[in-house]
Amino acid sequence: MNRVLTTGPIVWLGIIVTTCLLLVLFQTVLWLVLPLLISVVSYYILSPLVHMLMSHGMNRSRAVMIITILLTIFLAALAIIVYPKISKMVNNWQGKVGDYAESGAKLFLAAEKTVGKMTPFMHHTPALVVAPGDKSGVVPEKKDKTSPAAVKPDEKVPPPPVVDEAKVNEADTQALDDQVAARINENFGDIAFELLRWIPSVLLIPYMTYFFLLDGPRFKRFLVQAIPNAFFEKTLYLFYRVEDQLRRYFQGLLALTALDATCLGIGLWFLGLNAPFILAIIAAMMAWLPYLGSIAGGLLVVLVAAHDFPADPWLPYEVVGVFVVVRLLDDFVFMPLTVGRSLSMHPLVTVLMILLGGAVAGIAGLLLVMPVLGVVMVAGQIIGELLTDQRILARHFHARELRRRRARVDLFFK
Amino acid sequence: MFFGLTPDDNPRLKLLKNVVLFKDLSLRDLAVVDQMFHARHYLADEVIFDEGEEGQGLFVVLSGRVKITLPADVDTVLIELGPGAFFGEVALLDQSVRTAQARAIEDAEIVALFRTEFYSLLETHSSIASRISFQLARVLAARLRQAVLNTNRHHEAS
Repeated sequence: MNRVLTTGPIVWLGIIVTTCLLLVLFQTVLWLVLPLLISVVSYYILSPLVHMLMSHGMNRSRAVMIITILLTIFLAALAIIVYPKISKMVNNWQGKVGDYAESGAKLFLAAEKTVGKMTPFMHHTPALVVAPGDKSGVVPEKKDKTSPAAVKPDEKVPPPPVVDEAKVNEADTQALDDQVAARINENFGDIAFELLRWIPSVLLIPYMTYFFLLDGPRFKRFLVQAIPNAFFEKTLYLFYRVEDQLRRYFQGLLALTALDATCLGIGLWFLGLNAPFILAIIAAMMAWLPYLGSIAGGLLVVLVAAHDFPADPWLPYEVVGVFVVVRLLDDFVFMPLTVGRSLSMHPLVTVLMILLGGAVAGIAGLLLVMPVLGVVMVAGQIIGELLTDQRILARHFHARELRRRRARVDLFFK
Repeated sequence: MFFGLTPDDNPRLKLLKNVVLFKDLSLRDLAVVDQMFHARHYLADEVIFDEGEEGQGLFVVLSGRVKITLPADVDTVLIELGPGAFFGEVALLDQSVRTAQARAIEDAEIVALFRTEFYSLLETHSSIASRISFQLARVLAARLRQAVLNTNRHHEAS
């Protein structure tokens, strides 16, 4: 029987509060939570491979060992190929970020100028000429030496000094560029130290993945032993639903990332951008953060386009066009086929929860809020159902009373 | 339960070997299935499941006795089950609701096999799962045949 679980406002309030509390808790042990999360993702990606080997007659421990060795070889090969490129990128990073910020500022000013030309009524308010004795209620602008409002109508004035707009723009972007570069220089040591601090956590990932693959089912049975008999079947159902939700979410997210990266990479390659597929992969991974991540990823690629092709002012807009097309494909084709199946959540709730996650736990909250909410949502729905099922509660209290009587059976006072 | 016994030393496997569903399996195969069981202990008079609940799996009695009744008439026992018997097997096939109540008559050691784990067994050890499925089909066919015979006798009598 397929039932749709319905939740009331109290259960939903509980789900939101629990999610926020978990995010705050996770933020304090982020060094453990992030590798744990990546290990869980790896577990769900690799477990079908382990099952495939087991279906060919191999036992679990041998299958897990083979998959782990193959994964290690693959990661090592990837590191050997990708490491020199990443190293080069990191070396150029300090200078590049300033350049990108400068290109972004230039693009912004150019866009503002274009919009200003197309909609002059929004930017140029006609100067007010106040007739003597006119008190029509119009508040005159503050008088200064250059303000036309400060000048009497019959008075001859020297023409205003000609301002070189290009020089002003250049000065603005230079100031912005200097600020960004100074901030990066100040914090570069801290960033490097922070990255080094994460090395032990990264090493935990293959270790935890190996044991999840090897002992995951046994650990689940170990946990289920603690469940009272009355709740046993429903709790098993809870485990199944949570696990199914997690597996579908992570596998769907990975498939979505691959589809997004491919489409975006083809689009950017068609526009002639440098390293289109690397940019596409980064942008697709940023989209793991629903809605806000897509905007940030799009902005990044637009900045790179503005920086790499300063002579082509229309290229950033073409990149935006590609992003819009991929976004539409994503929303109407890819998402319903992949992640949409796993988390049937209202878009408004999704965005509000992301913002709430960011507010209570910063960047970690932004990253973790969706998977945590997904799990808490299913758990909350089923716990809510267990606690409101009077028959199951009555059975539990009956069983407890039977155990209490059994424990007291020969204990009498004389 | 992180450490298990070898198949030859595990007394639970010897009990499971007597269950009709698993009679075609070797001890080594049974050890694979045994890793999927959830062990439960029920006191006398404790309800195992109720009619109308969503069934999630099959229960096998290892020790003790269990009765199957209809809630409308709890005094009339449909069947009493002892060691080696199993019940709730339809839940292994689909997500249907239980059609009767199961209650322990005396203290009982029971193991449960969850449907999703059985599906996982079908993927990873299809040979073992197909032998269990075949035995299950034979048991269900026998029960169907018995039900048809009972209905015919009832019609003839009336």
